[in-house]
Amino acid sequence: MIWEVFRQEDAGEYHTHCGNVHAPDREMAKLFAQIQHGRRKPTNSLWVAPKEEIGEVDTEDAKFGGTTDKSYRWVMGYKDLDAAFAEEVADSESEQEEADEAKRARGGDD
Amino acid sequence: MDIEAVKQRAGPREFSPKDDLPEEYRKAATRMIQFHANSEIMGAYLERPFIRQAPSLDRKLAFSAKVQDEIGHGQLLYRAAESLGIKSREQMLDELAEGEGKFLNCFHYPMESWAEVPMIAFFVDGAAMRRQATLKRTSWEPYAHAMDKVCFEEGFHVKHGEDIMRELATGSKREQEMLQDAFDEWWPRIIQFFGPTDDKSTHHDFSADVGLKTMTNDELRNAFLNAYVPKAEKYGLEIPDEPRIRDNGDGTYEVVEEDLDWEEFFTIAKNDSPGSHEQIGKRERTQEAVEWVRESLDDWERASAGANATPEAAD
Amino acid sequence: MAAEEAESTEQAERTGLGMPDDLSDDEREAVETLLYRLADDELVIAERYTEWQVRAPTLESDLALANIAQDEFGHARLWYDLLEDFGATEADLIFERDPADFRHATLAELPFEDGDWADAIVRSYLYDEAEALRLEALDGTAYPRIADRVGKVLGEEDYHREHAQNWLERLAADEQGLARLQDAVDRLLPAALALWEPVDEDVEARIDDLGIRTDSLDSMREQWFDRVLPFLRALGLDTPEGVREDPESFLPDHRGRDGDHTDDWPDLHDEMTRTYRELGRTEAHEIMPDPDEAE
Repeated sequence: MIWEVFRQEDAGEYHTHCGNVHAPDREMAKLFAQIQHGRRKPTNSLWVAPKEEIGEVDTEDAKFGGTTDKSYRWVMGYKDLDAAFAEEVADSESEQEEADEAKRARGGDD
Repeated sequence: MDIEAVKQRAGPREFSPKDDLPEEYRKAATRMIQFHANSEIMGAYLERPFIRQAPSLDRKLAFSAKVQDEIGHGQLLYRAAESLGIKSREQMLDELAEGEGKFLNCFHYPMESWAEVPMIAFFVDGAAMRRQATLKRTSWEPYAHAMDKVCFEEGFHVKHGEDIMRELATGSKREQEMLQDAFDEWWPRIIQFFGPTDDKSTHHDFSADVGLKTMTNDELRNAFLNAYVPKAEKYGLEIPDEPRIRDNGDGTYEVVEEDLDWEEFFTIAKNDSPGSHEQIGKRERTQEAVEWVRESLDDWERASAGANATPEAAD
Repeated sequence: MAAEEAESTEQAERTGLGMPDDLSDDEREAVETLLYRLADDELVIAERYTEWQVRAPTLESDLALANIAQDEFGHARLWYDLLEDFGATEADLIFERDPADFRHATLAELPFEDGDWADAIVRSYLYDEAEALRLEALDGTAYPRIADRVGKVLGEEDYHREHAQNWLERLAADEQGLARLQDAVDRLLPAALALWEPVDEDVEARIDDLGIRTDSLDSMREQWFDRVLPFLRALGLDTPEGVREDPESFLPDHRGRDGDHTDDWPDLHDEMTRTYRELGRTEAHEIMPDPDEAE
């Protein structure tokens, strides 16, 4: 049975997928995963989940974020307003800009 | 872990579901996050009529997207609360519908005209964002993770609110007057958003000691005023005489606490104002009306779980 | 400018009809009629869907239906924008238009009864199956301005149908759910027939003759029956006996396409335009760039 492994580097961070292991059950999967995926890279915690239990939807199946203009739901859609007056608004704006650029760079949609 | 150990270790994103935390911590965190989640839902109730009443198609789209985000935030927050192991999401949603769930003071008042929209969409959302940004450093990791996504999204809300305010403030004389009237009415409530001054707040000390909160009510309110008073003035709004706000001359402000109606605030806090009854009543009716769908989904879930006989879920 | 013009002309030759300014009166009437059908349907059904915001059965289902509403509003926006080619403004098209001039099918305007999620699901199923067919019939349109936009709109329709179908399958598995779905089908299937009604027989025939639409209303209705009736029956739902052979006799009293609406429509339009009137607005403010400018 294949188990997908998710590693968290430090407390408070996100668990992100890092690989998998073959194991007959959850306990063995945890034993194998800590060696295969946690022995060198900084690790605070690992999750294991049966591969067959993981559902996937990808760009073949879905148009993430839609195909028509949805700029009304983005900070950048609102022109000529200054975000710098509040740090948290400015932060949100730059995070959204970054996400938007990453999306465009991937060339998915527009 | 005992409470002393929790206080020792308390820090940003320090505790997660795998920690063995004392009930006192888990209950305090549940109360705080449930309140936050409830507020997202009840704020959305207040705003939803303006999806329909928005005066342009683009505004309608933005409003729909904003209300959608608030429900999405509720989804994240109820999960963060649920993961403390005290209450399930269903329980918390039932409590909200039954009038036991508490939520922000501002969402207990009716909002009737478009000119009031920026009061929630700019000022209250701005205040919420100010607080939420500090909660990225809360000690309950799932809460902090929820805040990452909430803060990412919220910038759009504040700008959407400001854009509506700008349109009114630069519109006809009538629009400007309506905006000022709305501001006069909402301003004291907005100031009370951050709750009573620190010595009157019952929950702060413990929450601060265990790292759930990272700033006091007073600090947050002042941080809000520092950024939002100049904004209000920029759009030609006059700050009402009461509550008195002292300009410290160094870019900071202070509110004269006794100018605010705390009796009203505490009545609201008990879900006991006319607005509370109205808003909660709506929630109760609409939740009840779709109970059959949830039952149907539960049946489906049980049937498919039986069919698959999957290993028990990990948490 | 010259290059742009050359490109437009080339496209116009390939697809048959010219750009907005080149159309004859008859052509223009045909194009406008088709666009009103599309835009008004999308606007009004989306408006109804938003009634579920903050009221849907679960938080996740709330988010999903809200998204579908936004998709449909977005599609309305694209089609209204093409009507603006002929000089109208958004204010003329939505906020200051007489409700009796709207051309949506009455299926879109019917209010939801409290908690009637079965209605929302059945309605979106019937609508989105029809929507897919009519967009497919626009894929090869002779009018270049529509041709440019069909792909984007179609891109969002698969989710809508998958969403409706998945919900139908799950609700139908449960006795109470099935009964509620049946009730919705009994009411809405006849109402949905209005989707295939003409605004005006002559103009609809001209839309087909000019190739603005590559499939006629009658033919699309047949295909819609082919998709919808077996699907519903397979779920254990009854569909009206003889509806396929004689759809005319099942049509609702008010069909909408001809401007004859239910009383719910002027009420809804009144609510939608309330702020606009209250503030004495004369134009609808835009946030997003013009669809032609957005890449």
